[in-house]
Amino acid sequence: MIEQTHIGESYTKQITRTAFSGWGARIGLFWVLVLAFFACFAPLLANSMPLLVSENGVVSAPIIRYLSTEDLVLMVVFIVGVLLWKLPIAFSTKLWILAAAVLISLVVGLTSLSPPKTIVYEQFRENIANGLYDWQVMPMIPFSPSDYLRDFSNTILQAPTFTGVAPHYMGTDSTGSDVASRMIHASRVALSIGFIATGISMVIGVIIGGQMGYFAGRFDMLGMRLVEIFEAIPVLFLILAFVAFFGRSIYIIMIIIGVTGWSGYARYVRAEFLKLRKQDYVQAAIASGLPLRSILFRHMLPNGIAPVLVVASFGVAAAILTEATLSFLGLGPVEAPSWGGMLNEAVKSSVFNWWMAAFPGGAIFLTVFSYNLMGEALRDAVDPQLARKAGVVS
Amino acid sequence: MSLLEVSDLHTHLNSGGKTVKAVDGVSFKIAKGETFCLVGESGSGKSICALSVMQLLPAGIASHPSGSIQFDWRNDAGSVEQVDLLSLAEPSMRKIRGARIAMIFQEPMTSLNPVFSIGEQIVEALQLHNTGLSDTEARQQAIEALEQVQIKSPESRIDDYPHMLSGGQRQRVMIAMALACKPDLLIADEPTTALDVTVQAEILELMRELQLDKGMALLFITHDFGVVAQMAHRVGVMQYGKLVEEGTTKEVLANPQHPYTQQLLASVPENLKRPDSVIAGSGSISNKPASEQYNSSGLDIDAVSPVSSDVAASLVEVRDLNVWFPIKKGLFRRVVDHVKAVDGIDLDIRKGSIMALVGESGCGKTTLGRAILQLEKPTSGSVKLTGQELTGLSAEALRPVRPRMQIAFQDPHSSLNPRLKVMTTLTEPMAAHGIGESREDRIERAAKVLEQVQLSADHLWRYPHEFSGGQRQRIGLARALVLNPEFIVCDEITSALDVSVQAEVLQLLLEIRQQRDLTLLFITHNIAVVEYLSDEVVVMKAGKIVEQGSTADVCQNPHQTYTKQLLDAVPRLNLSKIL
Repeated sequence: MIEQTHIGESYTKQITRTAFSGWGARIGLFWVLVLAFFACFAPLLANSMPLLVSENGVVSAPIIRYLSTEDLVLMVVFIVGVLLWKLPIAFSTKLWILAAAVLISLVVGLTSLSPPKTIVYEQFRENIANGLYDWQVMPMIPFSPSDYLRDFSNTILQAPTFTGVAPHYMGTDSTGSDVASRMIHASRVALSIGFIATGISMVIGVIIGGQMGYFAGRFDMLGMRLVEIFEAIPVLFLILAFVAFFGRSIYIIMIIIGVTGWSGYARYVRAEFLKLRKQDYVQAAIASGLPLRSILFRHMLPNGIAPVLVVASFGVAAAILTEATLSFLGLGPVEAPSWGGMLNEAVKSSVFNWWMAAFPGGAIFLTVFSYNLMGEALRDAVDPQLARKAGVVS
Repeated sequence: MSLLEVSDLHTHLNSGGKTVKAVDGVSFKIAKGETFCLVGESGSGKSICALSVMQLLPAGIASHPSGSIQFDWRNDAGSVEQVDLLSLAEPSMRKIRGARIAMIFQEPMTSLNPVFSIGEQIVEALQLHNTGLSDTEARQQAIEALEQVQIKSPESRIDDYPHMLSGGQRQRVMIAMALACKPDLLIADEPTTALDVTVQAEILELMRELQLDKGMALLFITHDFGVVAQMAHRVGVMQYGKLVEEGTTKEVLANPQHPYTQQLLASVPENLKRPDSVIAGSGSISNKPASEQYNSSGLDIDAVSPVSSDVAASLVEVRDLNVWFPIKKGLFRRVVDHVKAVDGIDLDIRKGSIMALVGESGCGKTTLGRAILQLEKPTSGSVKLTGQELTGLSAEALRPVRPRMQIAFQDPHSSLNPRLKVMTTLTEPMAAHGIGESREDRIERAAKVLEQVQLSADHLWRYPHEFSGGQRQRIGLARALVLNPEFIVCDEITSALDVSVQAEVLQLLLEIRQQRDLTLLFITHNIAVVEYLSDEVVVMKAGKIVEQGSTADVCQNPHQTYTKQLLDAVPRLNLSKIL
């Protein structure tokens, strides 16, 4: 069908337009973008340090001293990403600009930022209480995720409150830290584990699967056996074993999920490439004497990647669940709060404190649901036949 | 008294908020025992017309704002009652469908259910419309029905499953099924389009006989005027959902009134005028030696061996070429036999000539074409391009030779990479072979080639899905041309196109080959196209060459029985034969 209104529109644009024209995918995308915003600006949104203070007429931003390089890079990525979003330049140029921004912020962060090792959370609260500042601007949630046992609110395990000097919108947990703050900071773990683990799987899967599909024959046979071996690995137990030996690092978990999870992607890419290899335009590319690199990455990969992206969006959801499971079992990362870990704490307490379970549980549910919604929409856009067969009216 | 009377039929299809007037005020009558042909190009609404009569269109999408379809319903009691199919209730419609009006479809491969034997499927149709028919009686009738459609030993074939039958046999079974309930009207929607010409001839013959025998009316839908000439009593020509011309076959074919009908008839390959300047392999051969030509395209010529005088005449030389596909069986995938797709072929394609490769589906003509270009690895034998041996070369060693020989494909939908703009599709091969100094230069060259295939330069910035089938075929041709090839394999490039578009592409091809001094291997199953286009013909059957010679010789005076069969089977637009 030739649609006159979309002349010059690339296939990729067409797919994204159809995929995100439905409500489900839009809601999913909205939630993930909100999460991304929370994850990137977490230190500015939930922190015990004031954003701005004025001490005897001198204005300063104490929060900057406590920012880590990681925080800076994430914020820069988000801002540059939003600025580039609508710019009418080639996608690859955008990627280059983004990469440059990451590099610059990384260098700046490493050279000029050095957050203190020990943080005294009470410091600023005491200063405020003592009237040292003329005025101050506090973050939306004036508590750091690991700001325990505060001086002026000595209650631990507080149900959500909306009154007082500094209300806990989502209550506090058994150590007295603010649940809302922890929720915001935990979105970083949730997002990064999904993206990085899936990214690793996809890269490995596409490389191995693509070669299996293109060269076929013996290479394909060996590759498929390798896929079967990897599919036989019980991932959860492998992670448990690694965590036991090498400590509870989020990076180890990401890498293990990534390295063991590529077999599905490899299968998809292989099937696509086997099919594409016989397509006329690939034959024409071979007949034109194009180099193998161009045949594989220009003529085959972009046409075969769509179903892989669909699987990937489900894969992100699965990785988030795996991390949540680990944290729930008490084997998750220790250095940062995570939703699974918060659920674990909710279970530990002898009384059922609904706010400790409902918020992280709801967040996990919403995030996984969002990714599944997007995956579903993407699949229907890639294969419109499927939606029509299922009787979905778009 | 007419059996079916369609008057002012409108069928609108609604999808995604848009309404397409698929059938727009069509009226025609079919009398008892008459054959009415609906002809038109793809998208003209002829199939939708038939589906409207059958009431097979999905109710949510299709609507009939006005019109009526009057049908003489011979109901169970035996009395005849005139009903309007558009307003008939579904239970009554179900009684008519299959019993009084039967339909056969284009694709014999998918219109039979693969999990039931053909006998079971015929018996089911019989028992559905004749309640009280016992199993043995129904089976007996099914065997008779199969016998009618000339399936040999129907007693044993009745328990066969669809995959055990050939395409032609399946279409016979479909006809048997449609006729089992002795309908008054049979609707045939392009029943022979997917079949080879010899099979098509048999099926058409069968349908004519059965129609005379049973006195049933036939609504025949086709795009092929040759078939029309053979089958129809009366013809209706459709364009954009409208019936532009209607009359007896003789009137319409011999003396078309409407400009569209005239244009369609002029586009039939048999009626095309071949430019006189192009004459088989005569003065059109360039005097420049091949090596010099090669040099002009800016390529390294050292790789090409010197051309000796005795082979200079033939550009491509194929000797004892075999392409065998192994059949593997058992636990250890032991090779038990081979499918000999190309079996010991010798071929010389003279420089500057157009050689047509004809044969029915599965005869190995496409495989041969691809094997010559080394897209399919030959099992043994030799292929030489101006004396240079191509078989056994590595992919890397073949790359410098690739630009000299190109290919254009049949399916306009799969022959272009959907992700790349036309510009990229055309300039990338040039860049890979160092043609053109800069990107701008290459784009300019691509624009020139596009103009040569009668597209404009601003089409460079579009994606393949924005083009029609004919335009895509031109782009495919342009992609083959950008590398300045000497030899192009055209693999059924016009088979998927409508007849008027086909005529344009064929004329274009002749023009280009004259301008560029091209050598073509034109693979096709359409004899009329061969007669129009080619200098030489090679007839293939089961991987072997049956007959070879100049087009005039082979077509006027075939020596082999197979060639004769093939030529006789072609439905001709011969007006003297029309009733």
